[in-house]
Amino acid sequence: MSIAVEIKDFSKSYKKIQAVDDISLSIQTGEIYGLIGPDGAGKSTLMQAVAGVLRFNSGQIRVFDQLIDSDKSAEKIKHSLGFMPQGLGLNLYPDLSIEENIDFFANLRGVSSETLQQRKKMLLEVSNLNKFKDRAMKNLSGGMKQKLGLVCTLIHQPRFVILDEPTTGVDPVSRRDFWEMLNQLVREENMTALISTAYMDEATRFNRLTVMHKGKVLDSGTADEIIERTPGWLIEIESKNPKELLPKILSHFPQAEEFGQMIRITGFDIAVEKAQKIIESLIDGKKDRWYFVPIGLEDVFIHRLNHVLDQPETVTQMDLNQGLTPLMSTSELSEELIKAEQLVRRFDKFTAVDKVSFNVSSGEIFGLLGANGAGKSTVIKMLTGILPPSEGSGFVAGHDMATSSMAIKESIGYMSQAFSLYLDLTVNENIDLFGRIYGLSGRRLKERSHWVLAMGHLENVQNTTVGSLPMGKRQRLALGCALVHEPRVLFLDEPTSGVDPIGRREFWQILVELAKNTGVAILVTTHYMQEAEHCHKLALMQAGKVVAYDSPKQLKRDLKERRGSVLSFKVSNPYTSLSLLQKSGYSKVALFGSRVQLFSQTVTNTRKTVSEMFVNNNIEIENIMVLEPTLEDVFVDKIESAIK
Amino acid sequence: MNLLWWRRVLSLTKKELLQYSRDIILVIATLYFFTGEVFIGGKGVSFDLINAPIGYVDYDQSEASREWLNKLRQPYFDVKGSIDNDKDAQHYLDNSSLLGVMEIPHNFQNDLLKGQSTDISFQLDASNVILGNLANSYVSLSNASFNQEWMLKKLKINDIDEMESPSVDAKKMILFNPEGKSSWFMAISEMMTVMTLLSLFLTAAILVKEKERGTIEQLSIAPLTPFQILLPKILAVEIILLIGVALSLFLIVIPVFEVPFQGEFWLFFLVSAVYIYAMSGLGIFIATVSKNLAQVMIVSIILIMPIVLLSGAFTPPEAMPEWEQPIVHFSPLYYYINMGFGIILKGAGLNLIWTDLLSLFALGTVLFIFGISQFRKQFEN
Repeated sequence: MSIAVEIKDFSKSYKKIQAVDDISLSIQTGEIYGLIGPDGAGKSTLMQAVAGVLRFNSGQIRVFDQLIDSDKSAEKIKHSLGFMPQGLGLNLYPDLSIEENIDFFANLRGVSSETLQQRKKMLLEVSNLNKFKDRAMKNLSGGMKQKLGLVCTLIHQPRFVILDEPTTGVDPVSRRDFWEMLNQLVREENMTALISTAYMDEATRFNRLTVMHKGKVLDSGTADEIIERTPGWLIEIESKNPKELLPKILSHFPQAEEFGQMIRITGFDIAVEKAQKIIESLIDGKKDRWYFVPIGLEDVFIHRLNHVLDQPETVTQMDLNQGLTPLMSTSELSEELIKAEQLVRRFDKFTAVDKVSFNVSSGEIFGLLGANGAGKSTVIKMLTGILPPSEGSGFVAGHDMATSSMAIKESIGYMSQAFSLYLDLTVNENIDLFGRIYGLSGRRLKERSHWVLAMGHLENVQNTTVGSLPMGKRQRLALGCALVHEPRVLFLDEPTSGVDPIGRREFWQILVELAKNTGVAILVTTHYMQEAEHCHKLALMQAGKVVAYDSPKQLKRDLKERRGSVLSFKVSNPYTSLSLLQKSGYSKVALFGSRVQLFSQTVTNTRKTVSEMFVNNNIEIENIMVLEPTLEDVFVDKIESAIK
Repeated sequence: MNLLWWRRVLSLTKKELLQYSRDIILVIATLYFFTGEVFIGGKGVSFDLINAPIGYVDYDQSEASREWLNKLRQPYFDVKGSIDNDKDAQHYLDNSSLLGVMEIPHNFQNDLLKGQSTDISFQLDASNVILGNLANSYVSLSNASFNQEWMLKKLKINDIDEMESPSVDAKKMILFNPEGKSSWFMAISEMMTVMTLLSLFLTAAILVKEKERGTIEQLSIAPLTPFQILLPKILAVEIILLIGVALSLFLIVIPVFEVPFQGEFWLFFLVSAVYIYAMSGLGIFIATVSKNLAQVMIVSIILIMPIVLLSGAFTPPEAMPEWEQPIVHFSPLYYYINMGFGIILKGAGLNLIWTDLLSLFALGTVLFIFGISQFRKQFEN
């Protein structure tokens, strides 16, 4: 295989900030290469430099043997490049239709009208956008905008595409769709791709990848290689009584986490056998069960970073419990704090929310999932009292939302993905403002300010303007401001978007503690499936309806009963394997980098027949894994069957 | 509206003022508007004819012609010199180096001595209508004065008092601006225009900033009514602009232009406060229809023009076409100018302006209710 892109000792700084520091990597022709890392890791900088739209300080970049060292030399290879910048549909024109957008990009690239017609037809078919080609871009869903962005980037048949976070802010189903489309096009058109993502669980989608953090390379290779290089294990315990078990586990494994009804332990420094023994001695062998789960890149990433940083800024249980007062006695703990009954909301003829019912008790974390535009925000708007429902009823903290929206507003906390803080005010000024808005003053306000500062570890930055704080701190401050008046119900609308994995993990630790210790009922929306695992209950929405409503554990169990386990083959030729499987009538075959995966209820049988088929076709099998269905599988399955 | 209600409003007002004070560019711009802009308005924009460049073509070159030309004096005219012929004169007018050219024909003196009437021509660049009109009338005055003197000379009378023919001497008494200084008028007008611009723009900018950042969502979910969300913004704008107008009055208008403030200061500030209230309703409306600061700017400019032009600031309503005259009453600036000039220059008291004040308040309330209803609507989807 030949080298398509070679990057050597690349560095770039903006004034004083070192955005990328001495990075080298090479991408082979035909490969899907990933850059993975949280916001601010330097992914965009590197991609812009490769695309020839950013000058850099030092290092060498070669694309198809063309050294990119000036604007002129960059110009020479631009015709064979496709670049999609970050931001969902930001490079598209909202008022133009799908077809007009495509035509515009084709004209920009000087595509002859004959080629254009032919490519447009093909791309619209692959992307399933044909039906909507006259619809204005602004009226498309997030997933469709993303696909249109890709179509426009590919219209001039580039040999090398650079996609900067194409899947950010898009739900799992659209993401899976997008990967399928991309895989197909990369294979059929013999392209090379460089793609960045903030979702660690997408690592398996790449042939090879580089994990970046703060401008540096943390590791490179295939996802499996990177994970294997940091040997560790991940055990999940299903317990009937997690509240009692957790303290015991924590005394042996301080890194253990509570995930809804499960306890999750990752171990890197302790031998598996030893850990196994300890766990077996702690759990109730009859009622509880435990099992290994394949460790993910995110766990490895967090572990590595905790080693890199001298003093990881983690929030301990102690800090949290300080000044946390239980809001109600345990006898009231099962009180239903959010109750939605057959909620309907129509806008003109369009039904945004269709007969949605669920309830959330105190101390419970409830996850509301669904694609953009599925109706989640409309449900939240109705429950928080800013939008009256067309039909149905709802109660929040005991107040009827039809009659007492002001009372509801007094008793809830709300935090959105924009972290609605005043960036030009200091931390203290923000806390003070929200405290006073919610009617606090005097000593009470002082006490609560202290609590917010302690909870969010913000004592050192009290008088710093919020705009200059990193995302993780802003997020904790926003949470603190939402909790300043000790609400009984907390609404969180995508509270972790744009925050790095460590920040996200800390944030969820706080949420879990809050729910447990104060009995606050939490409703949260997220696109991160791992976060959804934290919830006690999930409701999955599709086109305004709830299509699944249960605990994460039960949802996964149901899927396993209906569809079986996941068989994952790591093979030498994934594309051929994929088409072989599809031809042989296996449905739901998915490609993950160099792995092909399929569901099977008769694991042993399928494993045997598929292995034989691969061997007969000269495909080498490196390894075979049997996996439990994930929440993402559940999500995709439920939505797909709802669409049918 | 209990204590808690007001505490919420006050903490939000404090927040607005804090945010405003952290936006250095906005603070500097406001300061400049109230001082520099008013200063330039008063000094630079003058409707007086001063040092207008004038040339002449004197074909006669006689005593009489020189005498006539001597009438064109400073400070009104700056006589640049003699021009040889018509063609050159036309050239200077075309390239705007001269505002006007006098042409004195051959036989000017002879005709006068023969007792015949004669013509001189004055070519005038009237592209600036006001200056053109003024130059025209000053030249006519000069001509009249020349005629009078020539007549006296012909009658061999050395002093006008020796003439036994009566003449009318109009004793003018110019009220309120006895020296007829346009700088007074301009400085005060400019101050009011700045108030108009800022009361509209600041309110809209503060509000649209919350929309852009998404903080408005947080406020709307808090236990606050739309009125409670909007009132603090208006209070903040009131405070900022009343301080601004005070700076303008006490640093520029009164000391620099020596405008005699005849009325009561408190009354002027009260009127200004009501005016800001009236304009802020429009500001809220602008913010609800705009998505970002750039749109706020454009919509503000669209609205500012008719408000200023229809206010009577530069054209008295009586001079407008008949159909336009009633519209004047919908421009809040009309009332503000009426009352403002009344208080500052005429010393008008509340007893004279209360109808205007009530009308302005009523107009403001209508605009404010309109603004709030638009603001409320945008949350509905």
